Amino acid sequence: MTQTSGHSGAGADLILAPTQSTPSVAADWRSGRLEMAGESYPENTYEIFDGIISWVQTFLELTDRPLRLELQLSYLNTSSIRAMIDIFDRLEHFVHSGRDISVLWLYNNRNPRSAELGEEFKEDYTFEFDIVAIPD
Amino acid sequence: MTTSLSTLRSLASLRDFFSSERILICFNGPISRTLISEIGTALKEHIESTRECTTAAMDVFSVYIEISQNIRHYSARNDYVEPESTATVVIAESGDGHYIVSAGNVVEYADGEALQERIAALTALDKTELKALYKQQLRQPRSEGSTSGAGLGLIEVARKSTAPLLCSLDRLEAGRAFFTLRATI
Repeated sequence: MTQTSGHSGAGADLILAPTQSTPSVAADWRSGRLEMAGESYPENTYEIFDGIISWVQTFLELTDRPLRLELQLSYLNTSSIRAMIDIFDRLEHFVHSGRDISVLWLYNNRNPRSAELGEEFKEDYTFEFDIVAIPD
Repeated sequence: MTTSLSTLRSLASLRDFFSSERILICFNGPISRTLISEIGTALKEHIESTRECTTAAMDVFSVYIEISQNIRHYSARNDYVEPESTATVVIAESGDGHYIVSAGNVVEYADGEALQERIAALTALDKTELKALYKQQLRQPRSEGSTSGAGLGLIEVARKSTAPLLCSLDRLEAGRAFFTLRATI
């Protein structure tokens, strides 16, 4: 179901193929980018989010490079929202010590609910959080 | 032979009932994670195809997913097996542009009563108060949420609903009950 290139430790990329209830994930260690796209409503969020959270944590602890998140998430169930908050809380922690971190939230024009979801995340954090519509 | 003939006849009357109640999709039986996903996707695509904007489809999908997953989690936590682990889910059009998601499952009677109280408390809140409660609940330690159950998901259902949530509890044998929740989106 999922494919991981290398180990989840330092310096490794994390690539997860999308499933019906989980988004695609591409975390690139060298460029410091984490991309997620699709819908997320797995019954047990740890199946997918534990790996992502640990990648983010390892990257932030072991490097001092900028981290860019590019998220195109059309729907999240409440447990996925909770898991995203676990990620954003880590970003916020490192931003306070001057780390360069930003989130780009992309949503489809036809899906204003995704924009609202991004807005509700954004209002709780101080790091750069841009919400941008993409044409249908 | 008479049995199968009467089965066919009742199927026809069932179909008439579905039509008169404007039922889009319904399900009664053991519900798996794959099935939740398949039914949800079909439902979302159907509503999307009839609307310009995906808002209605996303809201109905969201309510349906939260309710179905709550039922799955509850049933697993109580080690229910069939028939207690089965769920009844009905998604219908209201006729005035709204959608109705109804779902029922077997619960311990005391849990059903607690759920009724929680829903009554939610229906007393307006959208702003629901959002504040939602944000507060998001920050609760995860273990706390999982023991009480149906916390955040239920608030999300209330936030997406355009009318107060309705519920009922019908007593069954052995200290159990059939709990029904109805959300209008």
